[in-house]
Amino acid sequence: MSLVARLLALRNDPRAQKAPPFLSALCVIVGVVWLLILPLNEYSRQTYVSENALLPGQVHTYFGGSEHNIFRAYRQEVAALGDKTDEERTEKLAEFFKTCGLRVARQTYRYTAAGKNITGQNVYAVLQGPRADATEAVVLIGAWRNMDHVLNQSGVALVLTMARYFKRWSLWSKDIIFLIAGDSTAGPQAWVDAYHDAHSPTTVESLTLKSGALQGAVAVDYPAGTWGHRFDKLHIIYDGINGQLSNLDLFNTAVSIASGQMGIGCTLQRMWKHDDTYQERLETMLRGMLSQGLGHASGPHSSFIPYHVDAITLQTIGDGWQDEMSLGRTVESMFRSLNNLLEHLHQSFFFYLLMQANRFVSIGTYLPSAMLVAVNFTITSIALWVQSGRPKQSTKVGIPEPKEKKGVKEDLTVLKQDGMVALVPTETLEVTERQLFLPLTFVCAVHFLGLIPLYVFNNTFESSLTSTFTVSTTITLILPPLSSLFFTTLRTPTRQDVTLLSCFSLLLLGMFLSALATLNFSLAFLVGLATAPLSFVHLCIPMSTNGTSPPSSNRLIPRIVCVAVVFLLAALSPLTLTFAVAWATEVHVTEVLTAASVGWHVHGLWTQVVVWLLWWPAWFIGSVVAWLGATGSLQD
Amino acid sequence: MAIDRRKAVLYGSAAAIRLFLFTVFPSLPDLLTGRVEISTPVTSFKRLQEGLFLYTHNVSPYDGGVFHQAPLLLPLFSLLPDLKQYPFATNVLYTAVDLLCANALMELAQTGQATSSRYFTSPRKRMTWSAVSIGASFLFNPFTILTCLARPTSVFTNLFITLATTKAAQGATSTYIIALSFASYLSLYPVLLFPPLAILCYDRQASLTTKTDRSSSPITFTITHVSALAAGIGALLYLSYFLTGFSWEFIPSTYGVQLLLPDLTPNVGLWWYFFTEMFDSFREFFLGVFWLHMASYVGGLSFRLRNQPLFVVTTLLGIFAVYQPYPSISDTSLYFAFLALYRHIIPLMRYSFFLVAALLYASFLGPAFYYLWVYAGSGNANFFYAITLVWSLGLSFIVADSLYAVLRDEWEVERPEMRGKEARQI
Repeated sequence: MSLVARLLALRNDPRAQKAPPFLSALCVIVGVVWLLILPLNEYSRQTYVSENALLPGQVHTYFGGSEHNIFRAYRQEVAALGDKTDEERTEKLAEFFKTCGLRVARQTYRYTAAGKNITGQNVYAVLQGPRADATEAVVLIGAWRNMDHVLNQSGVALVLTMARYFKRWSLWSKDIIFLIAGDSTAGPQAWVDAYHDAHSPTTVESLTLKSGALQGAVAVDYPAGTWGHRFDKLHIIYDGINGQLSNLDLFNTAVSIASGQMGIGCTLQRMWKHDDTYQERLETMLRGMLSQGLGHASGPHSSFIPYHVDAITLQTIGDGWQDEMSLGRTVESMFRSLNNLLEHLHQSFFFYLLMQANRFVSIGTYLPSAMLVAVNFTITSIALWVQSGRPKQSTKVGIPEPKEKKGVKEDLTVLKQDGMVALVPTETLEVTERQLFLPLTFVCAVHFLGLIPLYVFNNTFESSLTSTFTVSTTITLILPPLSSLFFTTLRTPTRQDVTLLSCFSLLLLGMFLSALATLNFSLAFLVGLATAPLSFVHLCIPMSTNGTSPPSSNRLIPRIVCVAVVFLLAALSPLTLTFAVAWATEVHVTEVLTAASVGWHVHGLWTQVVVWLLWWPAWFIGSVVAWLGATGSLQD
Repeated sequence: MAIDRRKAVLYGSAAAIRLFLFTVFPSLPDLLTGRVEISTPVTSFKRLQEGLFLYTHNVSPYDGGVFHQAPLLLPLFSLLPDLKQYPFATNVLYTAVDLLCANALMELAQTGQATSSRYFTSPRKRMTWSAVSIGASFLFNPFTILTCLARPTSVFTNLFITLATTKAAQGATSTYIIALSFASYLSLYPVLLFPPLAILCYDRQASLTTKTDRSSSPITFTITHVSALAAGIGALLYLSYFLTGFSWEFIPSTYGVQLLLPDLTPNVGLWWYFFTEMFDSFREFFLGVFWLHMASYVGGLSFRLRNQPLFVVTTLLGIFAVYQPYPSISDTSLYFAFLALYRHIIPLMRYSFFLVAALLYASFLGPAFYYLWVYAGSGNANFFYAITLVWSLGLSFIVADSLYAVLRDEWEVERPEMRGKEARQI
């Protein structure tokens, strides 16, 4: 306790009082630099397979020979189904599965989001493993259309071929489910929801046929047309909804089979060219973080991950000399590895950042960067709390004016430390009462206010999303000056009010971000970075007057700074930043908003909750504080 | 009794907020009912439903080994209309319990026992909050609202504890004993509150019957009250015996579970993890140690803070919220409600901001880590346990710090010259 007491005594040290802004800035800088050095060899690691049971690439693959003819035949059949209705298509596909001797079922789904109807039909077949007791299953997915809405012709044909091929083997110790989903996002979501009975029966049909607990899922995305297409590399997509990742072992298995056994190069995060330089590693990592931070569905596998089913998508890219048979053998080898699993994938990492197909950093190494960014807010908040309790008048510099003439003697306290004695006015040692009610109510109210845009954006039709965005941007930018005006008319806010306002807002922000960093590191880091200026906004509030009112020129410069801060904050609002990023990446804002709304209704996406209930309120309060500083009408 | 306008507004808004949340988000209560931070094996509403189902079908509710709550709750809840069709009745009941609890708390605040008891009057007595603010701090505490929405039966225990304290502080002997018997009957641990409450009641009676009457001697007072409490609890137990078809099997399923901890469902407390990890041969010993540890505070605090028995009750509630076998945030909310009576000592607390911040951090990180452990599967039990440790540490530091503040407040009466000076432990 005495150590704590000594630390607390530090708050009266003038140097300690000046330190927090620098400390905060240092935290942010170290956090960012930390992230930037991760791609170096010293801080990242070579990937390795932890789960011994997987034995990737240790089996001989037999997919080949006459299977090629069957594959080509299925590809023709799939091409013929291209322009059929959902009903006709799934019926035909079900027939194919039935001919292979598998049990088949179909499922219809109909989601409504952003005024759009997302409908489709899934068809799936269950291969009962000859050595299995129907308690475990692995899934092979071929979405009918891929993420770019292109017919996944060869991918679906490959799933059909694999179904026929796998049926002949006697070594499966898990059931295998072949799923041909109606599309790449809603279809798998509907299926996996219904598989776990977590669906709403009004939108998604229940499954009539089920197997055991899902142990893993592999999706194939190979949109080559009827005459085939030789590809160059496999693009492995591994991130799920809300930034949750599949177990690193599954990814490693895919990489090690594809590149080690089959000689197919692997790449990730749309880095078509990767020469293993620092820049490319960094870019891969940042792209991965952006994708994770958005938390959107990045492929048919994404919907599986929230159900603790590890899943990846294998996508073919480029022009090369790899054909459908080598992809088929990769899938075969992967299923042989998954077939070996004795328990759920758990050995390897669930939290990682990949910077190349065979290099990663684990959570222990990268988490401190987001935590440092979050801690910067907490430091500022604590500093502001201490500051708010400080007496209204600062210690007078120079000789105190004589007060004896009025008979009032200033209270002096004798301080003894390290053999030195000093007389200090008692009031500088005391803690003033804090008026908590107004700041607390305001902070809570603003956080609840975020529910309104959250509701509106999730329930607006696609056609009016752009106008809604414009209107809410305008309101968002006008509201802080209005509320600061409202504040000043209600009762002139004291300096303590404003300090406490910042204090509580930053405390909440730091707390939310550190909790979020454990769930979705990237989102926490990105939001933390975008809100980092907020922990310095309070600096533009004039610290405290020196008893006598200072000359007005003294106040001019801080006020100009405040106005600059106001404009900087306007540029950093969640809405303006969204718009700027969308513009820079040449995506229309409406697309982003539609994707968010669809994500909310179909996938259970949380990203907009973070934006509206965490980022937006923090930004709002920061702006109000800056405006109050800019208008400069604060009481002591 | 005329209800003044501020009270009416407070009750109205508190009830409105609860009923609004109940009706607008119909899935929220069920979601919260499943949260381990709110519903423990001995208070969970889901388990109560299970017990109720068995009870209404004439099967012993304790047969399944799921239901661990007091038998008298069953006839109460079987009187309510069916939950699936008319959830409104249950919602109104829980809202009413919260309002009654707040009402008792406000009456307690009006007795002024927190600042001036029989032997001690705080020099800071002008700094207290008004009764309505104290009621508001309880009713609008997010923990209280979440508890109300999740509908655990711990709210009844909380109500009876508050009622017992209020009646003791008013000197109303019989109501105090009845309320305390109910509280002890429902959850067992409130029986530990008997000594400080008895002191509180005795002091109050003594100061009410000044000189003119001969107040009863401490020994007679203790004997009559102990026997009254025993009679009260005995009557309730006999009624339960009668209700459960003349069988005592509810005793092992209710108090036995509290004492022997067979159900190791995670909660915010410290027991579950410890007893999960422990070898069976040490189990009995450590059960004894844990219970003894919790009970040992009663005597010490009652002696040391003889002058402020209400603060002993407050501190004990804080200790129960940490060291109980099955604590939940509803215990914490009751502790904070009582701590609000001691508004005047908060300036003397040294780490209030840090501790409140730590609790806030824990209350957000807790669900996140539980999610990682149970749903995402990417974490494990240690994640959640680490956060419950932080939570318990923060809470016990608040208990310790408030204790320090009260002692300091007392000390400054004895030694006015030390006011505002740094105290150092030697």
